[in-house]
Amino acid sequence: MTERTIAVDYLARVEGEGSLHVKLEDGRVDHVELRIFEPPRFFEAFLRGRMYTEAPDITARICGICPVAYQMSAVHAMEQAYGISVRGALRELRRLFYCGEWIESHALHVYLLHTPDFLGYPDAVRMAKDDPETVKRGLALKKAGNALMQLLGGREIHPINVRVGGFYRVPSVEELESLRPTLESALEIAEETVHFASGLPFPDAEEDYEFVALQHPDEYAMNEGDIVSSRGLRVPVSRFDEAFERAPVAYTHALQSVRKGGTPYLVGALARYALNGPRLSARAKSIAREVGLEPVVRNPFRSILVRGIEMVYACEEALRIISAYRPPESAWVEPAGTFHGGVGAAATEAPRGLLYHRYRLAADGTIETAEIVAPTAQNQKRIEEDVRHVVERSLALDDAHLTDLCERAIRNHDPCISCAAHFLHMEVERT
Amino acid sequence: MNRVAAGDSGVDGPLVIGVGNEIRGDDAAGLRVTRELRPLVGDRARIVECPGGVTELLDLWEGQDRVYLIDAVRSGGPLGSWLRILVGDQPLPSPLAGTSTHGLSIASAVALGQILGRMPARLVVYGIEAARFDPGAELSPEVLVGIGQVTRALAEELEPAASAPGGPARS
Repeated sequence: MTERTIAVDYLARVEGEGSLHVKLEDGRVDHVELRIFEPPRFFEAFLRGRMYTEAPDITARICGICPVAYQMSAVHAMEQAYGISVRGALRELRRLFYCGEWIESHALHVYLLHTPDFLGYPDAVRMAKDDPETVKRGLALKKAGNALMQLLGGREIHPINVRVGGFYRVPSVEELESLRPTLESALEIAEETVHFASGLPFPDAEEDYEFVALQHPDEYAMNEGDIVSSRGLRVPVSRFDEAFERAPVAYTHALQSVRKGGTPYLVGALARYALNGPRLSARAKSIAREVGLEPVVRNPFRSILVRGIEMVYACEEALRIISAYRPPESAWVEPAGTFHGGVGAAATEAPRGLLYHRYRLAADGTIETAEIVAPTAQNQKRIEEDVRHVVERSLALDDAHLTDLCERAIRNHDPCISCAAHFLHMEVERT
Repeated sequence: MNRVAAGDSGVDGPLVIGVGNEIRGDDAAGLRVTRELRPLVGDRARIVECPGGVTELLDLWEGQDRVYLIDAVRSGGPLGSWLRILVGDQPLPSPLAGTSTHGLSIASAVALGQILGRMPARLVVYGIEAARFDPGAELSPEVLVGIGQVTRALAEELEPAASAPGGPARS
């Protein structure tokens, strides 16, 4: 019997840390383990006993990369519990806020974390030495997303301006208009990004994903919609538990999320694009066609193109919202009537995919239980499948090249180990 | 995300940046220093916090004359001890490479800044030796001591008449 082990003790260029262990036996993949180390339930415990109003602020600290997603899922869950409906300009401002996070997070991943993989650089710093202009483009895009997040989130150490029911303060027309030149420039850079990415060399891959994302009838979903899948699932977010289950796995501290019955699924940019592509803007769809991007992308290495398309869309959407903006009469909506306690659940589309929050509240608004299902915890099992297939297709590679390919297979999905867990470390065991 | 302007006093002069995540144990060291420093230095410095991605550091420090950055590090030194490094044209020394929980490391931000010509005229990095980064962990008692020492060292360094020491130094 011939055994071979591939081990990556520290996965570079993912947010947070984790490790990968792959064991090969007689030229066959025996098992793949993506290990994540962190007490993942800490934040849920931390939230218990806190007032419902504190959840947006506390959950925003879970991830330094996607605080808006955590805030948005938290406020929508609380509003569902309290029966608050946020409409009109406030709803649009939230969508604008989310556009900022998509631009910022996608720019970071596309340019500083993912592109070096395709161009053969170990990291963005080495890439910048040879090609500073590419890195500058990425930083400029990221800065545009940041500008939106700072204006709407408040100039604080985390976005304190968000509250249940709306915002503490809404921007003036002039403040939003001041961002127009930055966003117009960002839109051009985002388009350049898609064309640039279309010229990268993509390894062959074809994965049979069950894509899962929010779907809204009228828009490319960010904050609202039903949960749908490419295999016919459609449930309101309140019935998340009927469609998905989460189980602790011995080798990881994150709970792995699977469809009922145990099959893995994929959330994130590929899923959103596959399920909601027809709801993109005409311009985004046109650019996708120009670069030959298929309506459903099953090669995960091509996810960089999909993130580029989503940045184009987010820039356009931000400009559309700014153009139509009229400040609302009130910066937030108060709960109506007497609250008797209850459950609120919501999901929004974090840059990395569906982010689900569920809270049980006492009559005085105290959080009794909290449940948070992060995108990477949902993708973890599907990422292991991707790695398994990459290894099966590439057994002739030496360990160094196979390890590199495995790391790339993980980075394709922009995992945020910080959210799912904390530190990530790869082992490939060939026996 | 860059939520860096917390407590920005809006004054010109040296810029002090605390980096970290305040609910991840010792990772909060840099933020704590900036908070303790603020009443000591008044309007002699602008003080900001950077809890998110460190690429925003380039936007913050570009064009600045003097910048002081404080972060938690793991370099194998005694817990709570601290390093002071005057960053020149060279890469940041290995103790400060790859120690960040903030996406890209501080060392990557410095390297990118050097390559892209987006560094301040003078950058001093204070690193406090840390151990616990778990969510919800308390700051280690030794790190609390280090925070106090770095705060005082930085306050002295920000005195108008203070001579600017070179580096590197370790407590």
